[in-house]
Amino acid sequence: MSAAPRVADLLLDPILDGIQIVAGSAGVERRVTDVLWYEGDFEQVEGALMICGEAHVSPPYRLDALVRRAQEARAAALLVVAGPAHPLLSSMRLADRLEIPVLWLDTREPVRLMLELNSLVRAPETVRARTVERLLRQLAAKRSGTDILAAAEAVLSVKLSLVTSDGSVILGAKVDLDPTLHLDQPVPQRGDHLLVHPVLDPDVNRLAAWLACPYDRAADSRLDILAMGLAMTEPFIRSWLSGQRTQADRDSVFQAHLLSEIAAGRDSVSRDVVEGALLLGWRLQDWHVGIHLQSDAPRPARDRDPLVEQFTAGLARHGIKIVAATNRGDGWAMWMTTDSEPAPDNPRQLLRALRVVTAALPREWGVTAGIGRPHRGPGGLADTLAESRDAADLAHSHGFRPAVEHSDELGVARLLATWQRSDVTRAFADTALAPLRGQANSHLLMTLRAYLESGGSVVLTAQALGVHRNTVTTRVQQVRDRLGVDLDDPSQRLALQVACRALGV
Amino acid sequence: MPDPLRTITAERVAALAAGATLLGSGGGGPVALGELLLRRALPRRGVIVRRARDLPLQAMVVHVGVFGAPDVLAERLINPADMAAAARAVVEQVGGELAAVGALEIGGLNALAAVLAAHELDLPIIDGDLMGRAFPSVYKTTMSVAGHPAAPVALVGPGGDTVVVPTCSDRLVGGLLDSAAAALGGLAALAIYPTSAATLASVGVPGTLSSCVSLGEAFLSAPAGDIPVLADRLGGSFIFQGRVDELRPREADAPGSVTLTGAGGSVARIDLLEEFLAVTVNGITLARTPDVIVVLSSTSGAVVGTAQVRLGQALGIVALPALHTWPPGSDAVVGPAAFGLDLDVVTR
Repeated sequence: MSAAPRVADLLLDPILDGIQIVAGSAGVERRVTDVLWYEGDFEQVEGALMICGEAHVSPPYRLDALVRRAQEARAAALLVVAGPAHPLLSSMRLADRLEIPVLWLDTREPVRLMLELNSLVRAPETVRARTVERLLRQLAAKRSGTDILAAAEAVLSVKLSLVTSDGSVILGAKVDLDPTLHLDQPVPQRGDHLLVHPVLDPDVNRLAAWLACPYDRAADSRLDILAMGLAMTEPFIRSWLSGQRTQADRDSVFQAHLLSEIAAGRDSVSRDVVEGALLLGWRLQDWHVGIHLQSDAPRPARDRDPLVEQFTAGLARHGIKIVAATNRGDGWAMWMTTDSEPAPDNPRQLLRALRVVTAALPREWGVTAGIGRPHRGPGGLADTLAESRDAADLAHSHGFRPAVEHSDELGVARLLATWQRSDVTRAFADTALAPLRGQANSHLLMTLRAYLESGGSVVLTAQALGVHRNTVTTRVQQVRDRLGVDLDDPSQRLALQVACRALGV
Repeated sequence: MPDPLRTITAERVAALAAGATLLGSGGGGPVALGELLLRRALPRRGVIVRRARDLPLQAMVVHVGVFGAPDVLAERLINPADMAAAARAVVEQVGGELAAVGALEIGGLNALAAVLAAHELDLPIIDGDLMGRAFPSVYKTTMSVAGHPAAPVALVGPGGDTVVVPTCSDRLVGGLLDSAAAALGGLAALAIYPTSAATLASVGVPGTLSSCVSLGEAFLSAPAGDIPVLADRLGGSFIFQGRVDELRPREADAPGSVTLTGAGGSVARIDLLEEFLAVTVNGITLARTPDVIVVLSSTSGAVVGTAQVRLGQALGIVALPALHTWPPGSDAVVGPAAFGLDLDVVTR
């Protein structure tokens, strides 16, 4: 049995939602041991929260006497259930002077209030049992994570969030994780203003996320109820997480399989593939434009990658609807489908839209993307996806992020991509640039690369690297010395530039 | 009990007015107006004061005063001749000869109006009244409590228009007079409660005119500003001193209130209608009608009426004991309940 709640605890309880403390706030730390309806006398009311109806305080001067007598009888506080608060200043001053809290609540259901307060104060275990029952009833019918949280929030009258250990939000509002919490240990914890309950991974027995419940202050009994509510909600959240994962796995495996079938079979795909594509809503016979998305940052193999979600959402704002996104290991293959051949200026618009969208993504993700040319039919889909991948590789070779390239009509991107990936180029790069390989010389390789990319301009190179011109000149001289090449010879420059790109410097 | 008063002369007018103001309990109309009229009338001859028991048993006494709205009083003078006419109209109804004039209430303007009427009629004035203070209703009198009728009643307007009510129940007399006075321009001379000296001697409040004058003298001679000393001199009790923090105007018949905050956070509430009705300090009612509640300005020492209380004023509160012990059961007529006040019964 926890200690009797204080007046301030009751003030924050959802039962007394909308209550205001009109006077005597110095006394809110008094303990409430009982709840009594004022019947005209103050017999044996010590420690009680006295509830008065409107009749007891109208005309308003009657509150004066109530306040004084409540204090004399050592009542804990007065709760007036009446219309909008208009107590006399004299009553408020008196309550302030006597330090007896006067609470004012505008409700039409004093009897119910009385009952609920009574069980809250005298039998907190009843409240807990009732909460358990309501919570179970509500949660049983909920399927999605948002619904589960909303149901628990409604029953417990709190705000709940599902967060990861580093504080990023999966569901609900952002919460400030208390640094005093030990979030590395998957056990329920109580912080200063935060209750957390671990949500375990559905497959392996380790921590997946935290259910967090911020609170201002609360009685021990209320915190017990909240902690229990979190513990009851956790299995539902866990089961939802598990369901999410299964479905996402199924979808992505199936999609990857279909795509590889299409890439292999091209225009003579099997009937199964056509049916499967139909099932997924892919219109294979129409025009397709492929997009290949990559990220420098190591990304966990998650099914709902925020990168893809934010990217497709951004494109949707530009009126570009992505049919599907499939993880191809080296990045995400996605494409859009149209009934007719896209207009000639479409690639440029698409390129601009992608640059805008990728620019809005976090820089640390290091996003690169490539766009393929429009092609028709299942074979066209395979082609445009391949082109987009080449374009993405080209984009990847740039020194800046985010970078987007279009596999344009001239095929420059394809040509370069082919060179870069060829074994001959690779072998040349390894030998020719060997003197500059290694951690200690990385700055030289970087300088060479920037120097070549900027067309042999020392000034531009210095700007790109953020160093002084003279530094660049010195380094370029070092490079010349080490490689023994003539950087003024265009052929040598071209060969070295391709080699740099092949190494992915 | 102070020495009985023999006559009221011009020199006594200031004390009479001061006493009537104190006994008005914050209401009772503009005493200054009566004071001016009396100062003008009295130098010609004084008014003889008689005790009811000193008069022949059957001698007829009529209570005379003014009735109506204080706002009208502020703009229109009262005419002593109207009061004389009202008294004669009542005598005509009763039959007989008028022997003396009585004051309806000793608080406020009507204490002076009665003296003025006696002067006009050249008759003695009774040393006493029917309320021992001022009340807003004409039936809150010792006569009514003792079961004596208010009628016949006469109201005389400024043009000599006369309303005579030969018989009327006490319950209706207030409303009847209100509407008649409204028809007469909001203000009229009133003659009421015709009675015999013998009845008056048994149910009237005796000696209040003397008490009023001596209260006034005590007030005028006291040093201004020191309210506890003044309370002592007046024979009353000092209740509270503080600053006005909140004014709640009355709503129709529901009393309004004034909240004062004093030293150390103590708080006092004055309930009021036309008069100050009760004073509650820190939740304990220390004075209540029919006690006389005097509110004074702490700075000037002047008596402050219910209509003169302002936010931020520094006020002192003094309770004067009722000049009269009301018989048991009269609380319904003159107690807080009669004014719609349901005060906590605990008093200390």
